[in-house]
Amino acid sequence: MIHFDQVTFTYPTSPAPVLRDISAHIAEGELALLVGATGSGKTTLLRAINGLVPHFSGGHLAGSVTIDGRRTQDYPPRELADLVGFVPQDPMSGFVTDLVEDELAYSMESLGVDQQTMRRRVEETLDLLGLSDLRNRALRTLSGGQQQRVAIGAVLTAHPKVLVLDEPTSALDPGAAEEVLAALHRLVHDLGVTVVLAEHRLERVVQYADSILLLKDGQLSIANPSSAMAESPIAPPVIHLGKLAGWSPLPISIRDARRCAGPLRNALVDQRPRLRAVPHSSPVIATVTDLEVGYGRTPVLSDISLQFNAGEIIALMGRNGAGKSTLLRSLIGLHTPEHGKVRLDLVTQGASHSADPSELNSRELLHHVGLVPQEPSDLFEAQDVAQECRNSDRDAGCTPGTTRALLALMAPAIVDSMHPRDLSDGQQMLLALCIIVAAKPPLLLLDEPTRGLDYPTKTKLVDILRGLADTGHCVVMATHDVELVAELATRVIILGDTEVVADGPTVDVVTGSPMFAPQVAKILAPQPWLTVGQVHDALARANKLEDL
Amino acid sequence: MTSAIPLGKKSSVAVALITIIGIASFLWPFFAPTGSFVVDHAADAPLLFAVIIPLLLLLVLAQLSDGGMDAKSIALLGVLAATIAALRPLGAGLGGIEPIWVILILAGRALGPGFGFVLGSVSLFVSALFTGGVGPWLPFQMLAAAWVGLGAGLLPRAAGKKELALLSVYAAGATIAFGFVLNLWFWPFSLNLPAQIAFTPGADLSVNLIAWLRFNLATSLGFDLPRAVLTVLLILIAGKPILFLLRRASRKAAFGAPVTFQHFPVDA
Amino acid sequence: MTSRMRPRWLHPMAWWAWALCLAAAATRVTNPLLLLLLIAAAAVVVAARKPDAPWGKSFEFFLILGGLIIGIRVVFQVLFGASTGNTVLVTLPGISLPTWMSGLRLGGPITLESLLGAFYDGLRLATIAIVIGAANSLASPGKLLKAMPAALYELGVSVVVALSFIPQLITDFVRIRDMRRLRGRNDRGMRGYVSLAIPVLAGALDRSINLAASMDSRGYGRVSNQSTSSRRIVVGLLMASIVLVMVGLYGLFTTAAHPFLGLPIVFMGLVAGGASLWRGSRERVRTVYRPDPWLLPEYLVTGSGLAVLGIFLWAELRVGVNIKLWEQLHPSLDSWPSLPLWGIAAFLIALIPAIASPRPPSNSSSARQTNEREVVSA
Repeated sequence: MIHFDQVTFTYPTSPAPVLRDISAHIAEGELALLVGATGSGKTTLLRAINGLVPHFSGGHLAGSVTIDGRRTQDYPPRELADLVGFVPQDPMSGFVTDLVEDELAYSMESLGVDQQTMRRRVEETLDLLGLSDLRNRALRTLSGGQQQRVAIGAVLTAHPKVLVLDEPTSALDPGAAEEVLAALHRLVHDLGVTVVLAEHRLERVVQYADSILLLKDGQLSIANPSSAMAESPIAPPVIHLGKLAGWSPLPISIRDARRCAGPLRNALVDQRPRLRAVPHSSPVIATVTDLEVGYGRTPVLSDISLQFNAGEIIALMGRNGAGKSTLLRSLIGLHTPEHGKVRLDLVTQGASHSADPSELNSRELLHHVGLVPQEPSDLFEAQDVAQECRNSDRDAGCTPGTTRALLALMAPAIVDSMHPRDLSDGQQMLLALCIIVAAKPPLLLLDEPTRGLDYPTKTKLVDILRGLADTGHCVVMATHDVELVAELATRVIILGDTEVVADGPTVDVVTGSPMFAPQVAKILAPQPWLTVGQVHDALARANKLEDL
Repeated sequence: MTSAIPLGKKSSVAVALITIIGIASFLWPFFAPTGSFVVDHAADAPLLFAVIIPLLLLLVLAQLSDGGMDAKSIALLGVLAATIAALRPLGAGLGGIEPIWVILILAGRALGPGFGFVLGSVSLFVSALFTGGVGPWLPFQMLAAAWVGLGAGLLPRAAGKKELALLSVYAAGATIAFGFVLNLWFWPFSLNLPAQIAFTPGADLSVNLIAWLRFNLATSLGFDLPRAVLTVLLILIAGKPILFLLRRASRKAAFGAPVTFQHFPVDA
Repeated sequence: MTSRMRPRWLHPMAWWAWALCLAAAATRVTNPLLLLLLIAAAAVVVAARKPDAPWGKSFEFFLILGGLIIGIRVVFQVLFGASTGNTVLVTLPGISLPTWMSGLRLGGPITLESLLGAFYDGLRLATIAIVIGAANSLASPGKLLKAMPAALYELGVSVVVALSFIPQLITDFVRIRDMRRLRGRNDRGMRGYVSLAIPVLAGALDRSINLAASMDSRGYGRVSNQSTSSRRIVVGLLMASIVLVMVGLYGLFTTAAHPFLGLPIVFMGLVAGGASLWRGSRERVRTVYRPDPWLLPEYLVTGSGLAVLGIFLWAELRVGVNIKLWEQLHPSLDSWPSLPLWGIAAFLIALIPAIASPRPPSNSSSARQTNEREVVSA
C-alpha cells in the first residue's frame, strides 16, 4: 500500500538530509508503529506519506513515495485526501469548523462528494467512532479523547485507504487513549484500513502493532514487534522486564508477560522493593484545609485537606475533570476558595512565615510556589532563549546567568539563539522548568509534564525532579503517566468526584489499581514491584540475576 | 520575501480599478457638478453605492483568491482576522478606540500588499459577524480597511527604527483618514442636517469641504485622534516583536519555498 | 402553523432580504409614525424569533445605537442649526467663531419646528439601524457564510476559521494571563497588555501553520476542473463589470452625458459582475453539506419585506396624483403627523415573519432531537 523507494529528504533551511535513503513497504491492512527519538524525523516521515513533505514544507525529495499507485511527486496532499487521511498531533489545531458534524463533513465538501453520500457517511462515522451523542457539540467543549476521535472521523469520511496519525494518544489519559486505540483497532480489522502511527508512549500501543518502523538518525528499519523491541533502546517496561528476565520470545502484551512471569515472581518472593524514604521530620511547605472550590454552583473540589512536605514527590492522579488542575491552580492562588484555606509556609533567613497564595502579589508569589503549565510555551515571551533566560533572572531577582546555567545543566543541547517556540516539546518543558526553578520556590508544581516527551527526555526529567526534591523542594505533579509515577513519586493522591479518594505511598495506592498500576506491577501482581529498576536491584542484591 | 498573497497582473488591475471607483464613491460630493445625476439625487446616491461597492469588492476578492490563496495564506488570514476581531470588543474598554489597526498595518507590512488588502476586508467582515454589526456601512468599512492594509504593504523599504517611524507616521495618517472617509459615504444621505455641517449639492468645493470638516470635527474626530495616538503608541511599543512574529510565521509557512524532486528509475 | 413547524434556522438571506426591504422603505419617509411602526414590526419579529445565541442580543445594542443617533442629531441641531419655524422655545447665547474657522456659528434661538425636524431625520436613520439590527439578531452568521457564492469559497473558509478561532483565542488570552502571574508579572497598563498579547499572537500564528497543513491534507483547494477558457470568461466578465460600472458612474457624476445613460450602464456592469460570480461558482468541485433549504417560510418572509417596500414606493410614486400622500410621507412640522391606512397595512404585512417563520433551534431542543434519534435507533 505504501512504498518508500530510496527516499532522501532535505529541508530548504538545512544542509543535511532528515531522511536518508529510506526504502520500505507497508502492506494493506497493516498497523505500523513508527518509533524514534525526538528529532529523528518521525513527523517528516509521516508527512512524506501524504505529500505534505515536500509540497507543503518545501525542500528536496530524492527517490519516490508511492501510495496505492499514486506518486507524491505527482499528487500534492490535497489530491491525496481521498486516499490518505492525516491526523495531526494536536487535533484542536487542525479543526477548521467549530461543530462536530460540520468538521466531519469538511473533507467531503472539499472533495465534492454529493449531498446524499455526505449525509450517509457522516452518520456512519458518528456510529463507528461512538460520536453520535456529540454531533451538535462545539469542538472546543470536547475532552481530549473525544477531540482525537473527531479528528480521526474527520479524515475517515473521505474513505481513505491509509490513515496516518502523529502521536494520537500522547496527550490523553489512559481511558481516553484506550478509546482511541480501540477505534483504530476496529478500522484496521473491520475496514482493512492501513494505519501508520507515531507514538512515544509505546506501552500503550505496541501490542496493537503488526510491524515496527524504527527510525534512527534518518534511517529506517522494519521488523515485527517482538524482534524490533528486543533491539530497540526505546521500549516499554514490559520489554525491559522481559529482557531482564531473559524471556523468549519476548512478550509484548501484559497478558503474555504474566504467563512467563511465574519463575520471576518466585525469585522475588522474599524480596521487598527499596523505596526512597522521605524523612518524617521534613518541614511542612504547604497545607490545604477543608478546601472547597467551585465554578458557579458546581463544586470542583470539596473537603480537601492535605499537607505537603519538603522532599516529597507527589503524583496527583484521577480522570480528566476530577479537579487536578483546579487543585494546582488553588495552590498558586488562581482560585479563591469558597470555603477552607490554602497556606504556604516559607522559611527565609531562619524565620518562618506563612501566606495565602491568593493574597500574595505576583512578585512575591514566584518565590513561594511555581507551576510548569501544561503548555510550557504559555510562559515564553522573548525572541530567543538567551533573552528568555535574562528575563527570568530579572523576574526572579537572582544573579544574572542563573537561569541559563540551570538550562545548560538540564538541556545542554539548547542553543541561545533559538526561538523558544521552535524547541521540541521536551526542551520547552525543561526551559519552563528552569524559569520556574530560578526563583527557588519551595513548592514546585507540574501539570502533565510528560506530554509528548520521549523516553530519554523522561529519564532526564526523573533525575532532575529527584535532585530538586533532594534539595528540599516539594514536587507535586498532575499526571496520567503511570510509568512516570511508578518511577518517581513517593506519594500518590487520587482525586475522584471532587474529593480525595486515596492518599498514600505510591506502592500502596497504585499496585492494586487497574487504572493506575504500571506495567511491572500488573505483570508481577500481587507482589508490590513498580519498576524494572527495582526488580533489577532486588535480583542483584540476592545474586539471582544470573539464575534467570 | 515572498508575499503571502501575490498580486498578479490581473489582480493588480482589479485592485486599482476598484480603488478608483471607491475613491469616486467617497469623494463625489466635492466634485460632482450641479445637474449631474448624483447631485440631483444626492440623498439616494449612497444607496446606489451601497449596492455597487459590495458587489465589486466581492469580485475583486474572488479574483485575488482564485489561485492566489493556498491553505497557508487562508489559515494565516483566518487566524489574524480572528485576532483583529477579538481585539475589537476590547476597544469598548478603551472608550471605543479600537486597537485593531496595529495588527492590520503590521501584517500588511510583513506579509505584503495583497495580503494586507484581503486581511483588511476579511477582518472587518469577521468582526461584524462576530459582534452582529452587519449593515450597509460594512462594505465601505471593508474597502477602507483593505486600503489601509494594502498601503502598509506598499510602503518603501526600511529597517529597524526607521521602519517603526515610517509605520507610525503611516498609521497616524491611515487611521485618521479611515475615520474621515467613512463619514463621507453617508454624509450626503443626511441632507437635512443643519446647513453649516450639511452637504450642499452642487455647491463649491470649498463650501462642502468646510462643511465636511466641521461635520468630522463634531462627530468622529474625538474618536479618530485618540485612536491614531493609541495606534502609534502600540506600534512603537509592540511593533518590533509583532513584526518579528509575523515574519517568523511567514518563514515557517515557507511561502513559495522551492519544492524539488529527483526520481530514480525503478530498475536503477 | 408555528406549532407544527419543526424548529430550524430560516435561510439567513430571507431575514436579510426582509430587513433590507424595511430599511429601504424607511429611507423613503420622515413620518415618525410610519417609522415607529417599522421599528415596532422589527421588535415584534425579533421578540418572537430571536435565537438563544450570542448574536441574538445584538438587537438591543442597535436599539441603543438608534437612541444615540437621534440624540446626536438633535444636539447638532441645537448647536449648529439655523432655526426654521416660529415657535421659539429658548434662545441659547450665540457664538460666532473667528473667520479662520470659516465663521461657524453656534447656538442662537431654538425653535420647536427645527427640533422636530431633527428628531424626524434622526428617527429615520435610527429606524434603518434598528431594522438592520433585527437582521443581525435573527440570521445565524454561520449560515450566512454557508450561503456565500462558491466563487468566494477561499475567503469563506478563512472567515469560518476566524469565527471558530475567536473563542479559543479568548481562552488562550485568559490562560496566558494566569500563567504569567507565575513569572511575577502583573500585566497592567499598555505595556502589560502588549507583553500579554504577544505570546497569544505567537501561539495563534503557530496554530495557523498546523491548521494549514491539516486543511491541505483534507483536500482544501483541490484543483477544479475549470478549463482555461471558462476561467477566461470569469475574468473577462469581472473586468467588463468593473469597467462598465466605471463608465456608468462617469455618466452619473458629470453633466456631459444624458444622466439616464449612466444608470443602465451601471446596471449592466452589476449584471456582468453577478454573472462572473455565478460562472465562477458553477465550476467549483466542492459541495455543501446539508445546505439550508429555501422553502415556503423563506418565500413568505422575503415576500413580506418586498411587499412593505412596494407599498412605500407606491405611495411615493402616487404623490403626483394624490398630493395628500406627500403630507403622509413627509408631514409638515407644524401639525401632528397623520397615520395613513396603507401604513397600518404595511405594518401588518411586516409582522408576517413573526408567525410564518420557523422557530430557531434552541440548545435544549437540539439535545432532545439527539435523544429521539437514539430512541428510534434503539
